[in-house]
Amino acid sequence: MRISSLSSSVYFTLTYLFFYIPIILLIVYSFNNTQYSLLWHGFTWRWYVELFSDSDLWISTWHSFFLGIAAATIATWIGLLAAVCLYRYRFFGRNFLNGLVFILILSPEIVMGASLLILFTLVHLPLGFMSLLLAHISFCIPFVIVTIYSRLVSFDKNIFEAAKDLGAGDWLIFLRILVPLLWPALFAGWLLSFTLSLDDVIISYFVAGPEFQILPLQIYSMVRSGIKPEINALCSVLFCLTFILVLMSQLALRKKV
Amino acid sequence: MKRFWYLSQLIFFLFPYSIHAADNVVNIYAWANEIPDFVVRLFEKETHIKVNISTYENNEIMYTKLRTTKKNAAYDIVMPSSYFVDRMRHHDMLEKLDKTKIPHWKNLNSQFLNPTYDPDSSYSVPFIWGVTGIFYNSNYFPNNSASAAVPTIPGFQERASSPRRSIPSMVATSFKPGMVGTAAEANNSIKKWNDLWDERFYNKLMLLDDTREIFSMGLLALGYSPNDSNPEHIKAAFLKLKELMQNVKVFSSDTVVSIIIDEDATVGMSWNGDAYKAFQDNKNIKFVFPEEGFVIWVDTFAIPKNAPHKEAAYAFINFMLRDDIGKEVALYTTFPSANAAAQKLLPAEISQNPIIYPTQDILKHGHFQTDLSDETLALFEKYWEELKMSG
Repeated sequence: MRISSLSSSVYFTLTYLFFYIPIILLIVYSFNNTQYSLLWHGFTWRWYVELFSDSDLWISTWHSFFLGIAAATIATWIGLLAAVCLYRYRFFGRNFLNGLVFILILSPEIVMGASLLILFTLVHLPLGFMSLLLAHISFCIPFVIVTIYSRLVSFDKNIFEAAKDLGAGDWLIFLRILVPLLWPALFAGWLLSFTLSLDDVIISYFVAGPEFQILPLQIYSMVRSGIKPEINALCSVLFCLTFILVLMSQLALRKKV
Repeated sequence: MKRFWYLSQLIFFLFPYSIHAADNVVNIYAWANEIPDFVVRLFEKETHIKVNISTYENNEIMYTKLRTTKKNAAYDIVMPSSYFVDRMRHHDMLEKLDKTKIPHWKNLNSQFLNPTYDPDSSYSVPFIWGVTGIFYNSNYFPNNSASAAVPTIPGFQERASSPRRSIPSMVATSFKPGMVGTAAEANNSIKKWNDLWDERFYNKLMLLDDTREIFSMGLLALGYSPNDSNPEHIKAAFLKLKELMQNVKVFSSDTVVSIIIDEDATVGMSWNGDAYKAFQDNKNIKFVFPEEGFVIWVDTFAIPKNAPHKEAAYAFINFMLRDDIGKEVALYTTFPSANAAAQKLLPAEISQNPIIYPTQDILKHGHFQTDLSDETLALFEKYWEELKMSG
């Protein structure tokens, strides 16, 4: 027993180290007092100072956040309706539609990027914020549907029967029973969409236009000429924000219980 | 449903410029890290033209984007490198420049005007350039007494060696008569591409991870032009390069400067701007302009056909050619500027530095890259795969 608990704790430690060492290294390097070298040259705040004075990078960051929030919110709404529809109603082609959702998740991003670009070109949609938003909503929806649907199937169907029996209409059932019960899944779907949108490079590359530069594309394009520690600093700031968000949500959840 | 309405209102009003592009705007698609942020802000302040800047990391990406999105991506300025100017003007993708709208044209270094890739300079404005040559770390290969290594670059040794290194190198100079006497000594110096084939560099070289650069080196080492498209010559270059593979330690394009500074590779090919960046952190780094010749690349400004804001594009190009702006860009990128007036404003340690601004005599050995046919490029790719497999 003892040995197994020891080995399992070693196993977990190794697993978590594997996940977190790169991130810790990134944060450490954001304080490295050299631009190119990967050896340690002393501690500095220089890159944070530069980061906060680089308006270009902040504009892209703001663009990315805005796009992510908008895309995640809309995708969560559409995904919720679609998932409820697939779960509650029987109609012709339902299984087929269900299958199509999985195909979208599995299909390579490059296929989606290229096909969206062709579509936007056909309908003469100028590439920019709108094209990015539409693209991001469409690749987020399947993930939201799957997240919500998996929660839905765990429900007791009798709840809905009971509600109907007591005279609730479809709309009331949706608002008063489904949405409150689905709240954690909605939140998870939203976060998932937001993250997907925030770090998508491939699809965004196809549909991005000249007026709306987003963060992942900008970071990616900087790789060739050398990633500045400024990017490390930005990633560290973003990581700390995520960390605080997760911590806060954990605390909030704990209070409820 | 009301929530939907609010959401759409939010999106449409927070981002008015995504719906209809304002007229007082210029959309730039540029190399990452070539146009400094503060220069863009200064331009916006002086002209009240809003700049939207997107960046790319290689010519192919920019070219594909322009080809696939013809009208719905409205770029006003792109920055093709030399041979892509050639390709894009042949595909009728570039606007013929009206030079009367670029009064600062006179600042340009005449050496970069009317190049082979754009014979009348009617489609492209040279901006920054660089040379692909050889770097080495004098700590590991000290036998390269500089006067022997680069006889064609006067003053190279004084400039390239740091205060830290100056004492030993002075010692070396004072003992030189005795040291240079032997034939072996002369053989040990690195001054041409062919020297990289030397077996003392076994598993030491860093090469750029770029098909065109590698084959240019192979072709030059055999005495051909880097723009040679004769399949026989390319095959010969491939066989020559295959012999080099055992000396190669790493192919890199992203982390060249770190590899040189941290001495992960101590000799190899690099761009002169990168060698200079590395030199600032590691004073043992030297750069050689190979005797057989070398490739000069030029990143240019060009205006795509159907650019919606041409006037603003001219204003921006003209602004970038201003001497003080050219100086800031040169300091920011560390690559040489094609702007002669800006070069004059640079501190002497840069403008006189033979790594960054080689003399006319040396530059004469440079070749501009021109576009190659698809067949030739396919041949390169085929051999490139084979090379990498064998290495």
